[in-house]
Amino acid sequence: MKRWSVGRLTLHVAIGVAAWSAAALVCLCVGSTGVHWPSSGEMIFRRESVIVASLVGAALAAAGAAYQAVLRNPLADPYLLGASSGAALAAYIWRLPALTGILALGGAAAVEAGQEAFAFAGALAAIAVVLAITTTRSGARRLDPVTLLLVGVIVNAFNGSIYLLLNAMHKDMPGAGGEIGLLVGGIGHVTRLQLVCAAFFIVVSCATLLGLSGPLTAAALSEPEAFALGVRIHLLRWVALSAASLATAAAVAISGPIAFVGLICPHIARRLVGPDQRRLFPASVAAGAILLALADAASRGLAQQHLLGSELQVGILTGLLGGPFFLVLLMEGSGQ
Amino acid sequence: MSELLRAEQLSFSYGGVPALAGVNLALAAGKIAAVIGPNGSGKSTLLRALLGYLPATGEIQWQGRPLSRWRRRELTRLVAYLPQSPTWQPTQTVADALAVGRAPYWGPLGLESSGDQRAVLAVAGMLELTDLLDRRMDELSGGQRQTVLLGRCLVQQPRAMLLDEPDTFLDLKHQMDLRRLLCDLARDQSIGVLMASHDLNLAASFADEVIILSEGRVAAAGTPDEVLVPAILDKVYGITMDRLERPGGRPVLAPRV
Repeated sequence: MKRWSVGRLTLHVAIGVAAWSAAALVCLCVGSTGVHWPSSGEMIFRRESVIVASLVGAALAAAGAAYQAVLRNPLADPYLLGASSGAALAAYIWRLPALTGILALGGAAAVEAGQEAFAFAGALAAIAVVLAITTTRSGARRLDPVTLLLVGVIVNAFNGSIYLLLNAMHKDMPGAGGEIGLLVGGIGHVTRLQLVCAAFFIVVSCATLLGLSGPLTAAALSEPEAFALGVRIHLLRWVALSAASLATAAAVAISGPIAFVGLICPHIARRLVGPDQRRLFPASVAAGAILLALADAASRGLAQQHLLGSELQVGILTGLLGGPFFLVLLMEGSGQ
Repeated sequence: MSELLRAEQLSFSYGGVPALAGVNLALAAGKIAAVIGPNGSGKSTLLRALLGYLPATGEIQWQGRPLSRWRRRELTRLVAYLPQSPTWQPTQTVADALAVGRAPYWGPLGLESSGDQRAVLAVAGMLELTDLLDRRMDELSGGQRQTVLLGRCLVQQPRAMLLDEPDTFLDLKHQMDLRRLLCDLARDQSIGVLMASHDLNLAASFADEVIILSEGRVAAAGTPDEVLVPAILDKVYGITMDRLERPGGRPVLAPRV
């Protein structure tokens, strides 16, 4: 029996960093110009892609692990719960000319922070609506997983309709991504300020969730059992949901909604280190960074002339991977 | 024996439906009290109210201090709770399942001290679980799993245990093992045990006191010999009971067929 000490936490983090470094090196070698060590020009582009993809993947996986722990639902995921579409819609609303004009008065930092703040508010509002309707419907303290997913689907569809309506009204708005921007996210160019803002919020939310990993481990038990172990369950739920929504919002603000990373990575991590949230959380974050960096590299590789010949959004690949994964989880769940 | 718990005029309602009405009870260190009664009589509600999980009215004192004046973390080191259907994760190892009981002692980031590890190993040794520490919870028998979940309470190093039907799903041998374990804990470690149970005979065989609940009220309380009598039980359960005498004032009860 090995106790969870500073040494073991450091070891787990070091293994995660080493695995990510190895994956990042592989990703740097893949691009739309072929598979080779990049030239200095290619290096600038690929390095940025690897950093942004890793950051977004880590954030979505951290959020997924937190949602699954807090809701005690293995199917919870920022995309399925509507947080991603809420954040994407709010980030789109932020781009409306009237709002950016007001925020521009506060300078460039206010504009970038404003986008993160809007995305955060959108993610949180979507989650709040989903939870409120689910608790009203199921009428139980434990949120019914199927109702939760159904409500998430409905909120996603509703957010999507508003997004498409606004998109039809503001067809020529630059940088908004068009109709497809709501459906699949991708890793594209971001400004340094956008990257710093997103990284700041993602690091803050991940640090918060890591700090909560002890209580979240006890919160995997029933509510009275967690109470008997000293967990303030309602406070914990709100803080963890807020931190997870912040991570989602920060990620979606720079990439758009990328499906299933938050669902798949905690499950991969659970297979590797078990269900204890203290070990699961760092492993999920590493798995998220690695998975999305690899998927992004694969999407770049597929864009080569002799293959697809055109850019492929990474969200399409994660969707192709995550759909069957989700179905397997559902079937495993019904088998039990 | 010093008094661990005292509850006076404890009442609680679920949406206007009374579940507990003016319950009084006391528990001393090193004593075992069994709470019995029909389904819906308020046994589980009573345990959750004593824990502070349900906001009951009345007075609850742990070690002479009102419940409201205990810090949560402090109280979790005094009182352990095992619900009727404890939660466990299939892929969790026995060592991890036991370690969760140390949550009230963990540091920031859930870091464990060497004392946490010693407490888990000591309980594993006491419950003969040492060889199973690396086994997954879904690989254990029902009896072994219940022992682990009881062990999760013990690694809290509590002075009192609130156990909600811990004998459910246990075969006769495991029921006797549980009885022996609780007696040892009370005698050797002066742990006070308040246990809800449906098994009148198991309660009669080792409890120092039996509290009979009926519709949220205490119908009778006293030694098994005093309260496990057909005149009381017939009224509470609505059936006719026969009582067989055994030496030591530990009767055996059976419904008349």
